[in-house]
Amino acid sequence: MASRNQGSAPRALVVEDIKVDCLILMHMLHKLNCEATAVENGKEAVDLFLERKTFDIVFSGKDMPIMSGPEAVAKIRTMGATEVKIIGVSADFGAQEAFMQAGADVFVPKPVKLETLQSMLEVVISKKNMSG
Amino acid sequence: MAAAALREQLNALLSSMFASGLVDDQFQQLQMLQEDGGTPGFVAEVVTLFCDDADRIISELAALLEQPIVDFDKVDAYVHQLKGSSASVGAQKVKFTCMQFRQLCQDKNRDGCIMALAVVRNEFYDLRNKFQTMLQLEQQIQAQQ
Repeated sequence: MASRNQGSAPRALVVEDIKVDCLILMHMLHKLNCEATAVENGKEAVDLFLERKTFDIVFSGKDMPIMSGPEAVAKIRTMGATEVKIIGVSADFGAQEAFMQAGADVFVPKPVKLETLQSMLEVVISKKNMSG
Repeated sequence: MAAAALREQLNALLSSMFASGLVDDQFQQLQMLQEDGGTPGFVAEVVTLFCDDADRIISELAALLEQPIVDFDKVDAYVHQLKGSSASVGAQKVKFTCMQFRQLCQDKNRDGCIMALAVVRNEFYDLRNKFQTMLQLEQQIQAQQ
């Protein structure tokens, strides 16, 4: 896996097929000075990791066509991407167990608040600064 | 009409939307994201996308519920999607009606689902009308500036 980009803007990956949710999350991440990339399903997310793209944080929806969020999370962790912070996001509270079992770091119910995103990014940023 | 009067109309509309529970603080968060980020048109883009999506989902639900054998898993998946996007834009009433709808899906209650769809549709149409008026007023205010 290529070395992480330390000391620069956090790189976020949004895995979400619902366009409205994706638009809002991307806007929030740009507002928080993230370099954000969006894909529409779990398989596209896994493909990015297979291409050795690196991210500091991943926000994944649950139910998506082709590959679900938890399935993608499990594959990403199996590939050895253990340091990337993965956040499961869903309007379904029952999704928490599926995400955590797959290897997500935390579950956040929709709608995601800007303040919540900011708190998570602060953890990522401080980790980047410590390892820099 | 002068910009000030239009602004007053817009504020009154927004106040009534919040007061009636049509939208909640998530919608306010979207407005703040637009203002703080200096991104005019963000709310319009979100609202338009939501309405297009919701319209499509409601049509799909109607078609599914017309089938002789209803696939409640598919119905539930669509309602879940609509509930999620409603929550994301702050469409509180639509969100609540979706929660009720989901319960009826899980009960595999066809007649209940048909009634729930009617409720969701009505709440959505009401919201969409208000959003359309909101966007028209914003455009008129912009045109005056």
